[in-house]
Amino acid sequence: MAAPRVRPLPVTGYTNLNALGSTRTEILEALAAGRSGLAPPTESFGFETLVGEVRADLPVLTGDLAPWSTRIASMAGKLAADLEEPLRLARKRWRPERIGVFLGTSTGGAVSTEQAYRHFVAEGVLPADYNFQRQHMFSSLLHVVGELTGAKGPGWMVSTACTSSGKPLATAQRLIAADIIDAAIVGGVDTLCALTVLGFSSLQALDTQACRPFCKERSGISLGEGGALALVEREGEARVLIEGVGETSDAYHISAPHPQGRGALGAMEAAMAQAGCTADDVDHINAHGTGTQLNDGAEAAAIATLFGDRVPVVSTKGYTGHTLGAAAAIEFLFAAYVIEEGWIPPSLNSEPFDSDMGIQLNTTLLKGDFKRVLSNSFAFGGNNVSVLLRAP
Amino acid sequence: MSSAELSANDPSRVGIAGMGLWMPGYADVATWLSGEPDAEAVKPLGLALDRRNRRRGSQLGRSLSDALTAALAQAEVDVSTTPTVVGSAIGEAVTLVGLLSQIWRTVEPASPAAFSVSVHNAAAGLISISNKNQGFSSALSADCDTPATSLLEAVGLVATTGVPVAVVCGDEPVPTELVPADVGWQLQAGAMVLVPLDGTHSCLAQLKVTLGGQPDLSPAVFVDEAQARNPQAGMIDLITAVARGQRGVLRLDRGAGRGYCAEISEASEAPGS
Repeated sequence: MAAPRVRPLPVTGYTNLNALGSTRTEILEALAAGRSGLAPPTESFGFETLVGEVRADLPVLTGDLAPWSTRIASMAGKLAADLEEPLRLARKRWRPERIGVFLGTSTGGAVSTEQAYRHFVAEGVLPADYNFQRQHMFSSLLHVVGELTGAKGPGWMVSTACTSSGKPLATAQRLIAADIIDAAIVGGVDTLCALTVLGFSSLQALDTQACRPFCKERSGISLGEGGALALVEREGEARVLIEGVGETSDAYHISAPHPQGRGALGAMEAAMAQAGCTADDVDHINAHGTGTQLNDGAEAAAIATLFGDRVPVVSTKGYTGHTLGAAAAIEFLFAAYVIEEGWIPPSLNSEPFDSDMGIQLNTTLLKGDFKRVLSNSFAFGGNNVSVLLRAP
Repeated sequence: MSSAELSANDPSRVGIAGMGLWMPGYADVATWLSGEPDAEAVKPLGLALDRRNRRRGSQLGRSLSDALTAALAQAEVDVSTTPTVVGSAIGEAVTLVGLLSQIWRTVEPASPAAFSVSVHNAAAGLISISNKNQGFSSALSADCDTPATSLLEAVGLVATTGVPVAVVCGDEPVPTELVPADVGWQLQAGAMVLVPLDGTHSCLAQLKVTLGGQPDLSPAVFVDEAQARNPQAGMIDLITAVARGQRGVLRLDRGAGRGYCAEISEASEAPGS
């Protein structure tokens, strides 16, 4: 597929929520200090693992939105409230019908359904306050975010597992280019639930300690939760620009990456092609870097093929855990921080580094002028997204 | 004004080059239009899936695959390169409930194989793997607006890449543990291939999807009420209208969504000309 004919898209505001905190200051302080948000889970799963739980106070949705008040909707509600200042300006620039909402999630309301199902098993009936449509279905988040932000344009949820919240950036680019919208709220949110912890455990993909991306002794992921929203507009005062979004498929295996990172490589190439730049123009990569043998090996092979060991690479999963459907959005904002702040955080738990990776893994706080940054996300189904951000 | 000129003026206008559907009793558009159900169309075959992935695929995945196969064949586009948008309101909820049952009812370890295909994009992934399609693939959800929004996602792709894009929407019945049977629905899938209006593709009709509109076309008639409740019924309505040669504005959500509409016009003419 030819590179889409789209222009760089200004990101005019954003907000981030994860195990490191819910404010820019909290998150940047933790990243600069190399301080992980991973800890033993609040709920025991019967085996050792660390998770990145959101500890921030979350709003309880009230009034007309009260029936939608689940943990994931509350996270989305907090993110939407924190985005209000740039949204207020956007609502003056664009008609509400021209502001879209495109969000990603992997688990959606699974945690609510899980609790309801446990009640069903124990009592023979679902809890009286459980409503499948409002608490389980992905579209409930669209309703909540639409109501809280006043955005009345087209909207949908993307659910492509761990790439879910990266693809909405491309959607917004395309729909603005097609003159269907003028602005969009994009990003995603996901919550921890027993189903994913036990599911990844069944795949023997969970580390018993904090995940160790690109470490020779890496042995799995640490799960996390959180979300991130960004406001993108046809025109506006850009904090960063989305220059390219590459979307590919491995076409290889439902839950394992192509060994040479074929789809990952294609996604990075597609993002750069859309931007009209080459590997020489990229200053930093926020890797998907989950900490499994296969994922890190495949991604490193793809990065090494395109960039060799010239570009500093970091995985931020050691800070937040793998936030699944929210990971792409949380991490493209980490990439935005690098451009805005002029430093790359250290990748955690990477010693001893796996020298077979062939990449330059950054393990210290590295200062510099980083103008173009790639953020990678790869998923079950062989789904791949690479987002290229540029300084305005 | 030619189709190409129209498209240049309005990049959100596209052509429909192929269609397909699968419902119990109706394995193709022609049977559906005939109104005479095929007694042998009991389960979808999974035509776009190879043998290994057909075993992995759910009934949803197989029905999506059958509808998609028909649409791609009619449009004469290459399944190994065509970008694909998969829409589903509840996705693999049946698989998810199976996992919940394993974990909480029979208290056994979650099946790793089932966990791998419990993601919303399982069908999209299996289709891309089976057909060695390394290009764009996505999976969306928007309740009863899933057909309209999946079409809009595809419109954005057509408008910015200039290549044909496949859209396939479907939903399995909601597990009765979670929703009473009398508000549930039956298995249903519908597919379309959208193409640019650049004169290089043969089209059945032109399509423009809007949020809001003045519908003047009636939805399809389902004998079974449970079929009409499927969130993808709007896709079947659109396929039915196009296949019958109807032109006008059709609501895509059966009144249960935000009011997305499809403007259907002649393939080679400006609307209203």
